[in-house]
Amino acid sequence: MTTRKTNGALLASPLLLLLLLVFVAPVLLMVPLSLHPYEPGTGISSGWTLANYTSIVTDEYYREVVVRTLVLGFGVTLICLLMDYPLACYIANAGPKIRLALTMLVIFPMLLNLVVRSFGWIALLANRGLVNNLLIDMGLIERPIKMMFNLFGLLVGMSHIFLPFMVLMLVPAIQAVSKDVQAAAYTLAASRLRVFWSVTLPMSAPGILSGSILVFVLTISALVTPRMLGGPTYKVMATLIYDDFLQTLDWPAGAAMSFTLTLLTLVVIGLSSRMLRRWGGHA
Amino acid sequence: MNLENRKMPLLAAAAIAVVVFLQVPVLVVMLAAFSKTAYLTIPPRGLTFHWFDVVLRDPEYLSAAWTSVWLAGASTAAALVLGLIAAYAIHRRMLPGATALTSLFMAPLILPSVVLGVALLQYYTLTGLRGSPFGLWIAHVVITVPYVVRASLSSLAAVDESLEDAARVLGADGLTSFRLVTLPLVKPGLVAGGLFAFITSLDNVPVSVFLLSASQTTLPVKIFTSVEQGVDPSVAAVSTLLIVATGIALLLAERWTGFHKHV
Repeated sequence: MTTRKTNGALLASPLLLLLLLVFVAPVLLMVPLSLHPYEPGTGISSGWTLANYTSIVTDEYYREVVVRTLVLGFGVTLICLLMDYPLACYIANAGPKIRLALTMLVIFPMLLNLVVRSFGWIALLANRGLVNNLLIDMGLIERPIKMMFNLFGLLVGMSHIFLPFMVLMLVPAIQAVSKDVQAAAYTLAASRLRVFWSVTLPMSAPGILSGSILVFVLTISALVTPRMLGGPTYKVMATLIYDDFLQTLDWPAGAAMSFTLTLLTLVVIGLSSRMLRRWGGHA
Repeated sequence: MNLENRKMPLLAAAAIAVVVFLQVPVLVVMLAAFSKTAYLTIPPRGLTFHWFDVVLRDPEYLSAAWTSVWLAGASTAAALVLGLIAAYAIHRRMLPGATALTSLFMAPLILPSVVLGVALLQYYTLTGLRGSPFGLWIAHVVITVPYVVRASLSSLAAVDESLEDAARVLGADGLTSFRLVTLPLVKPGLVAGGLFAFITSLDNVPVSVFLLSASQTTLPVKIFTSVEQGVDPSVAAVSTLLIVATGIALLLAERWTGFHKHV
């Protein structure tokens, strides 16, 4: 029994050690960093302060960035849900060949480099991009509409990025809805809409929640797409952290913002797993 | 159940519209790469391979691509070994606190990547690892290992443990019975997990961008930073090469492992 435990420790300890040294320690060391004051010009001083955290609530600009991040999270989640539910229904009920083809077409953009996908949206949404060129050529608009560096661009681009994740969560949930219950409802003369509304939709609720949480958390933590489509001016929490650490060098403010972002994701994940447990679903 | 779909043309139309929408930026990038003009036009004015030529001769792009590939390969290899043996110990209940360990091993998936990136920036500055290939490598092992642990745990759960016990009864030692019995059974899941790890490393910007030295860059970070300085069709050309490589990799993975079942 003891050799078994020794063997177990030997097998797990390399990874445990790696994560303690290269994951846990760096994150913990950011706690004191977030509690130091920063003065422009002189840099990080050795005193202690909570100002980096309180300013996230009191400072109007920081508040705007946090609210914008959350609005983006809700918006992208909602768009993904509305666009993906019909697709997921279709895939769940399709024959094996169509199901495989559609699944591959969903997975392909997901595997594609994130930078490449975001670049595709720049080519579409820029002032001299495809969409503006088309609209001008058709005579619908005189001069380009601004579709990047604002909420619209981020909503469109990030919904596209996270659509595949939602589909992959919804399809198994819809497939798991018992065909017998649906058939029973039809036998009781329920209309197709009624069956969808009273049977399919509520029974796939755990999948809807899991997919929504995943998309929401991925959206509020995303750096690449908001930076490429939002530029240096239209900031979300992740791009603010990026600038704090690489441009303004206000590391303490960036560290405090990092913990705020982490706390938000943990709260969302924690709440949802409690809800899922109450529904008897699985995360 | 096909019948149900055929009865609802609206549902089919909505589904196809979304699938087409998913491919639009991909097609746009590929078209833009063949443009003769110095800025992006779609459809391209004239057809040229000039930008591919530019990219394939650019030493910066080539070295960035090389860095990305060795980094992804080395991280995946390390993640596969560390992740599989740790998952095995957890699965066979050789350790106390298996749930806590599993949570820790999966934690890099939950923490926003940008947070890990900046935390490592400070940590590497303190320890002198900043800008070193070694530091970059172990950071990528941390972000790729959850995929291997997850794939290993779910593949191991499907293996009948008595098979390995039978091998031991027949005189095989622990390592031999693992190598000859369990490993072949978990291989498909492991290959898929390894592919995910490889793609994750190859795709990563939010961690890499904080840890690279001035002289060294990865392909996605190179594209990410060059877009900030303006867009030209060479970015589209390098993106097109990545799109083609990803497409081929997906088709091969599907043929070898039935990849879509592991997603």
